[in-house]
Amino acid sequence: MRHRVGGVTLDVEFSLKQRWTVLFGPSGCGKTTVLRTIAGFVRPEAGLIEKDDLVLVDRDAGRFVPPHLRPVRSAMQTAWMFPHRSVLGNLLYGSGWTSKPHDAREIAEQVMSLFQLDELADRRPRELSGGERQRASVARAVVSAVTFQGPCGALLLLDEPFTGLDAALRDELLVGLREWLERWGVPVLSVTHDLGEAFRLGAEVIRIAEGRVAEQGAVEVVLAEERWRLLERLGASLPAGPTARGSHPS
Amino acid sequence: MDLEALWLTLRLAAATTAILLLVALPLAWWIASRQGLLTALVQAVVALPLVLPPTVLGFYLLVAMGPLTAPGRMLIQVVGHPLAFSFEGLLIGSVLYSLPFAVQPLVAGFEAVDRGYIEAAEGLGASPWRVFSSVVLPMARASLLTGAVLTFTHTVGEFGVVLMLGGNIPGATRTLSISIYDLVQEGSYAAANRTALALVGFAAAALVVIYLLPSVRRGEGRQADVVR
Repeated sequence: MRHRVGGVTLDVEFSLKQRWTVLFGPSGCGKTTVLRTIAGFVRPEAGLIEKDDLVLVDRDAGRFVPPHLRPVRSAMQTAWMFPHRSVLGNLLYGSGWTSKPHDAREIAEQVMSLFQLDELADRRPRELSGGERQRASVARAVVSAVTFQGPCGALLLLDEPFTGLDAALRDELLVGLREWLERWGVPVLSVTHDLGEAFRLGAEVIRIAEGRVAEQGAVEVVLAEERWRLLERLGASLPAGPTARGSHPS
Repeated sequence: MDLEALWLTLRLAAATTAILLLVALPLAWWIASRQGLLTALVQAVVALPLVLPPTVLGFYLLVAMGPLTAPGRMLIQVVGHPLAFSFEGLLIGSVLYSLPFAVQPLVAGFEAVDRGYIEAAEGLGASPWRVFSSVVLPMARASLLTGAVLTFTHTVGEFGVVLMLGGNIPGATRTLSISIYDLVQEGSYAAANRTALALVGFAAAALVVIYLLPSVRRGEGRQADVVR
């Protein structure tokens, strides 16, 4: 797909091969626009987007499937929790549009427990902290993707799902969510600029630089250089001494 | 107080509010989700009754509904009698006259719902109708209530259009405001005062309800303060 947004000209081409793929790149490189285009909120100037055998966008053929008809579920960076619904009501919002699957509530409860939201089920979004709202927003998209009814499953899009959470909680949620989604067979494309998150997921990484796909592959390969640079920076900021070096395992 | 006029006024206001909410909901959503020349033109037409003297609107409606124009003649054939000087004719006039009072609070309420909520719902598979009915409308419900109260109150207080279009027929077109005019003409100031005081009390109570809304709804989406 090709699209111009702000001062960046996006020209990217990739296909998702693994269960979890991470779009990695610096802020403002167009990662979010890629996600929004797949979700259907942005019409690219040119391009073709397919999911399984379904063409979502084909500018040459004039085809554009509206967001709600795409086998795609998304949670964008801002947690837009519907203020007039409880947390549980929000989580169940996108589950089964023709009829609620009988286990939707059970799935929502499992996801709430996974995201440590059990205690907050009946609260209104305004009573939550920023971090809780963010987790609830991701959880809502997860429930919607898992309960998606269609010939093929839904692709889950997550924009910076765990940015701003403390590292320990982030790691715990990431690993739990990855295992849980694997069990349900839900593929994920997420966006991050956080190196730790990409490594913790052990996912396939698409590195975007200057509006193009610079590299795609296993995280250890694609982000090796970034990791080295980060470690070097960390090393440089540590006081030179045997104790400091010894306390740093890597 | 002229109880017949009171009953007629309440019927007229209730029917006008019901019809206008049905018309205003889709119209306001259409205006709120679009920009451009056509939207500006529609908004201008909707707002016209705010700036026009009611007699101008009443005059044109009187002519349009009468036998002088082709649509008027057609209407007379369909309904069987001229609509002017009848309750139905008055209802049409009231709906047009109060249109901005129903549409404008709703437009402001719909515009206050951030685009992010709409995209969040679409990203969860909600169709445009679902987005409207389960996200936009509940979040703008204070504006819906404001629109309904304003429309009702404004219809109760209508005078110029009623006089031009309905005349002064007891039980059919004589509303409370016309009845006050009549009483004053007859020199019955005390009776006019009783009716006028009742209308003042009613209008003040309705406005208090509207101004209370933002505090009632605090924290659940933004309330569009259209009558500030």
